[in-house]
Amino acid sequence: MSDQAFVSDANAEVQDDLACTLLSKHFGEFAAVDKVSFSISRGAFFSILGPSGCGKTTLLRMLAGFQKPDVGDILIKGNSVLHTPPNKRPVNMVFQHLALFPTMTVAGNIAYGLKRKGVPRREHEALINDVLDKVQLPGYGDKRIDQLSGGQKQRVAIARCLVLKPAVLLLDEPLGALDLKLREQMKIELKRLQREFNTTFVYITHDQSEALVMSDQVAVMNKGRFEQVGTPQELYYQPKTAFVASFIGDSNQYVGQVQEQVGETISVVTEHGVRLLSHSSQPMPAGSPITVFIRPEVMQISMAKPEAKQDNCLQVTILRMLFDGARSQLQVETAEGAVLTVALPQTADFHALEPGRSVYVSWQANQCLCFPVSPVAVQ
Amino acid sequence: MSAEPGGSFNRTQYRLGFWLLLAPIVLWLGLLIILPHIDMVLVSLRERVASRQYEFSFSNYTTFFAEPLYWNTFVRTAVMSIIATVLTLIIAFPVSFYIAKMLSGRPKIALFILCLIPFWVSELVRTYGWMILLRETGLVSGALQWLGLIDQPVELLYNDAAIMVGLIYTSMLFMVVPLVTTLDSLDNSLIEAGYDLGGSSWHVMRSIVIPHAMPGIMSGCIVVFMLTLGNYLTPTLLGGKDSLWFTEQIYTQFITRFNWEQGAAFGILLLVLSSLIVWLGLKITKQSFTRVMS
Repeated sequence: MSDQAFVSDANAEVQDDLACTLLSKHFGEFAAVDKVSFSISRGAFFSILGPSGCGKTTLLRMLAGFQKPDVGDILIKGNSVLHTPPNKRPVNMVFQHLALFPTMTVAGNIAYGLKRKGVPRREHEALINDVLDKVQLPGYGDKRIDQLSGGQKQRVAIARCLVLKPAVLLLDEPLGALDLKLREQMKIELKRLQREFNTTFVYITHDQSEALVMSDQVAVMNKGRFEQVGTPQELYYQPKTAFVASFIGDSNQYVGQVQEQVGETISVVTEHGVRLLSHSSQPMPAGSPITVFIRPEVMQISMAKPEAKQDNCLQVTILRMLFDGARSQLQVETAEGAVLTVALPQTADFHALEPGRSVYVSWQANQCLCFPVSPVAVQ
Repeated sequence: MSAEPGGSFNRTQYRLGFWLLLAPIVLWLGLLIILPHIDMVLVSLRERVASRQYEFSFSNYTTFFAEPLYWNTFVRTAVMSIIATVLTLIIAFPVSFYIAKMLSGRPKIALFILCLIPFWVSELVRTYGWMILLRETGLVSGALQWLGLIDQPVELLYNDAAIMVGLIYTSMLFMVVPLVTTLDSLDNSLIEAGYDLGGSSWHVMRSIVIPHAMPGIMSGCIVVFMLTLGNYLTPTLLGGKDSLWFTEQIYTQFITRFNWEQGAAFGILLLVLSSLIVWLGLKITKQSFTRVMS
């Protein structure tokens, strides 16, 4: 039968827990989600990263079933769920403000889904205790929701979903309300929970650090479309579009013109008149406008002109020092007036630096990226 | 600091301001609520033995329990009020849910005002409105005859159903307002989470919406029950002379029989017994009075 052939075909590869094909949602004229297609393999931590208003919440709400796509299909474990209401879909959602039921205890919150699923009542206690152990809140069953701290509420919200063993867990920026220290802890904790339960997580966020630290795969979303889907490393080191390059990590951005291309090396003159060598795998005709991205951390600072051959080496004057512990930066200015931000390693070599001093910054051509200037330039 | 002269002066001023602001409510409570009730209690505890001669006695209270008419009238009034309250809740809840959760912006305000508009007209006029509809020569009777469903005029007034309709109509707003307020404060994501975790509409309603709305439900019910129990106009006009409403008994004692002692005793009994019913209602639903009223 053709059906079976399809199933065995899907099993031959890694079966996808979740797949979307050409999913679109319009609100009037505005395309919130625009022909998005992707698939997530079983047990992956998949993040959708984008600025606010990029359509990621709409996408997640379509996956949960709270919004109906205009066109396209959503497949969960190979079956279309387009006509399945939210209460019948094998997905659960951790809401942005968690949406724990304040009229119930912790155990009541977890039991709610079990009851609806028809799990026999005598099994509830064991299941609840087990899941509370896994989220490291043993013995919290009788507590009221308002007795919990922010991090504990997070864990209960996750436990409440995971006890139902969903095919996919959707998370809608659940760490947004936490303070910085707790957020760092919860990132690691979420990753651990995802491994332990071996459930597919779809996590949406506007915080790139959350996406990069936790995810196996990240989709960068902008204006309703996926700009690029890849591992965190790919997005960071090989961004495919100018938007991804500027959205992931910090960059110095310069608009310039292509002088010539030799192999994959391009020489560029920026709008300030600084000549740089950059890398590009795609051909760039001479004279075309481009944007160059240089990350602060690829540049090396040295007191004297470096002896080893560097593709780019600029003599610059220190404008100001931006001290932020390990993330300290130096703002410098070239003779032509271009301002650069350079990462400042907190080593003894650079303790003597002060504004007004002249130093050298250098980097290799393949460490900076360039993209043709598009009408949708970011910032 | 009491050591600073300015500090103590400020504090005296503050004290004075506090009492001045409190004065109207203290006067209102004292002169219009507490004093008359103390007087009512005193009046109800005396018996006229001869012209202008009174003795302390519980006889006014024993009459209430000894005379089946009074006792039955009270029970009937209480039961009818409870039914009216429950029916009002059943009708008002979907209306409030629709206003609070399904609508937003202009339509929401419009519908809320529509609920409010009938209350710009006095209760008397509103009740006469119902009489125009329900009387023998009224609109409903006429319409039924015109449709050929009945062949002679039918009297729809002066029965319990007419009283009930009038009472529910009068009470609607007092149920809708607290319900809309509490339902408005329910986060929509809680309802969505209820569905997301596998609940049907019925489960979401029963385990999430209603427990959240419970304080609003109870405060609405208390207000509606008290208003209905103490209502005089609607039962008298729509139920006629034989409507047997307890407030009519009180009126009769005071005005017709000029038996102020008996009337006062009935008044006190109404207060005590209705408070008891509210207290029982709160106990059964496990709500605290302070939470319901806040």
